[in-house]
Amino acid sequence: MLETINLTKRYEDGQLAVDHLNFKVEPGEIFCMFGANGAGKTTTINLLLNFIPPTEGTALIEGIDVTREPLRSKDYVSFVSENVMLYGNFTAFQNLDYFTKLAGKRGLTKADYAQALKSVGLQEEAFDMRTKNYSKGMRQKLGLAIAVIKDAPNILLDEPTAGLDPKSGRDFLNLLIKMRDQGKSVFMSSHDIFRAKLIADRIGFMKKGRMVMMKTRRELEGEDLTELYIQYMEEHPEAESQPPTA
Amino acid sequence: MLKDIIKKEILETITSAKFVFTFLLCAILILLSVYTGISNYRADQKEFSAAVALNKKNLESQPSYQALAGLGTKINKPPHVLEAIASGVDEAVGRVATVNIAYDPNLVDSKYESNPVFSVFGALDLTFIVKIVLSLFAILFTYDAIVGEKEKGTLKLTLSNKVPRDRLILGKVIGGFVSLLIPLIIPLILSLLILLVYPNISLAGEDWIRLLLMFLMFFLYLSVFFTLGLLVSARTNKSSTSFLILLFIWVTFVTVIPKISVMAAARLNSIPSVHEITAKKDAFLQQIQGGSQKKVLDWIKANSPKQGEDQKLFQEKFKKFLEDFQQEATSKIDENNAALERDYQAKKRSQVRLAINLSRISPASALMFSTMSLARTGLDEHERFLASIRTYKPIFTKWANSKMMRNLDLSGTGQTAKVVLDDMPQHKFEPETLSKSLARTLPDFGLMLFLIIIFFAGAYVSFLKYDVR
Repeated sequence: MLETINLTKRYEDGQLAVDHLNFKVEPGEIFCMFGANGAGKTTTINLLLNFIPPTEGTALIEGIDVTREPLRSKDYVSFVSENVMLYGNFTAFQNLDYFTKLAGKRGLTKADYAQALKSVGLQEEAFDMRTKNYSKGMRQKLGLAIAVIKDAPNILLDEPTAGLDPKSGRDFLNLLIKMRDQGKSVFMSSHDIFRAKLIADRIGFMKKGRMVMMKTRRELEGEDLTELYIQYMEEHPEAESQPPTA
Repeated sequence: MLKDIIKKEILETITSAKFVFTFLLCAILILLSVYTGISNYRADQKEFSAAVALNKKNLESQPSYQALAGLGTKINKPPHVLEAIASGVDEAVGRVATVNIAYDPNLVDSKYESNPVFSVFGALDLTFIVKIVLSLFAILFTYDAIVGEKEKGTLKLTLSNKVPRDRLILGKVIGGFVSLLIPLIIPLILSLLILLVYPNISLAGEDWIRLLLMFLMFFLYLSVFFTLGLLVSARTNKSSTSFLILLFIWVTFVTVIPKISVMAAARLNSIPSVHEITAKKDAFLQQIQGGSQKKVLDWIKANSPKQGEDQKLFQEKFKKFLEDFQQEATSKIDENNAALERDYQAKKRSQVRLAINLSRISPASALMFSTMSLARTGLDEHERFLASIRTYKPIFTKWANSKMMRNLDLSGTGQTAKVVLDDMPQHKFEPETLSKSLARTLPDFGLMLFLIIIFFAGAYVSFLKYDVR
């Protein structure tokens, strides 16, 4: 389970990136967070991963305060970034092997790695290819394979579908559904309302560091999500806004 | 986990194109430099043996001791096997000095004098390659060690796992350094094998210790640039910025500081020119020569035989007088020249010491001075060799004067005594001992260690606080 309680981040230059943020992602739930660039989505993920310390409030992973026990909390979370680059001179196997060992998993065989790579839909002939020759979709799949093999109960994704072609995007979302069905808590920041709408159990809109709207899939039934997003963004015209892709 | 990080660092580096390029270039340059160094040493050895034999032959063929005293004997600087690794100042300074009764000896005929075009490019010895090429590679291997991972996003991915930052930086240091050493160590081992199997090259036990200490210095020097690269990489947000900063520091360390130090020392501690010293020596020589003629004439006037007195006795007395007179005059000249030279050399040494100490801020200078001292091809060894020749000069002069005067032909028969060299004093030079060389290089070792500790600590602390976003 992922949780933030009054989570606040003010940078040294005075900019308030996250402002008393409260949300919870339950096991077996996909939570999608929308917001313009600079709304505080990535900062929230950085706070959950303890890459930056909060100014106020708490971020919890499986009930563990990430600031107090940063290393222990990381046992329970996987992270997939917007543009997974990995080590270009390594093959998929080598990348997977390295990050699996960093995750503390030992004794896995090549067959286990192959299984994880297959499960994310990576073609078999790509397993031994250097990842510098991968397309963005292939890299994202490998990034997800790293998360799959770590098998942490929580997954943080920072705009993972940005730049993916329609098929890769769909495959990627199917994988997230699979993970949700395994009981994992999935938190995803995105601009991609169209795709997120298909899988999200709950959706939040973030603006200037604050959660300005949070609704469940049932509450959103019959609503035009794009219109809703624009409406929320325009209610505060001073905020910098970037319309989501639909 | 540390093992995994180290393994990954090594694997990532050795599978990269930059490693292949570095390895090939290092192998070619190192092997070429050692082979060239050995060939030069062999040529120097041959040249030295030939010069010594020729000098002996020349001395023996002199018609008289007078001719021998005027011509003088040539002292050649013996080559040292470690010049193959660090040629030092040997190619720039003279290799041979003429010791005669008249002039103050100086080392002349350097390799650069023989072929000035070499001075334009300098020697391509192993020290030069480590100083310039490998230090650049150390930067190339580290400028993006941390900031590059941030740009790729792998740093975030790595730290999203249960990886302590201190272990990650340690793994990066060890893995990265091992990767950098591979292109150095393999060609170095091959170079040692060349040294071992090359005919007529023999390294004494002490030479091996010196060689290992030189390799240790190479290792420390590269560690300085390696840790510096990590530090800058952990303090910047763009790899291009990191590279530019490192390039600027590299240029400052390798070229700017050594050159500015020499110029600053010359300004802060100015010394008289060589021409001024020579003019003073010449003036004193003329003064002695001017008085000599009168003194000889006065002696002849006072001691010339009267009618009926024994001419032979007079001639013997005159020879004795001339010998004593000549000894006295040359002693005075030698003493005066030695005093002038001592004063000049002391001032010069103080200037050189100032330049060396100022330039020691740069690890490149520390590398040069330490390897030259260890190879016995540095300024100090040159000064010591020159000093040994200057010590030998009055000894030779005394012997030559004595021989010349005792065999002076006053009978007018034109008969001269055959030159015999059996009792001619020989020039002796003891190369610097290992303990003295080591004492000389200790500040350089200390400086390198200090810089490594500072840079590593800086990189370590910076990385613990590094913003991975």
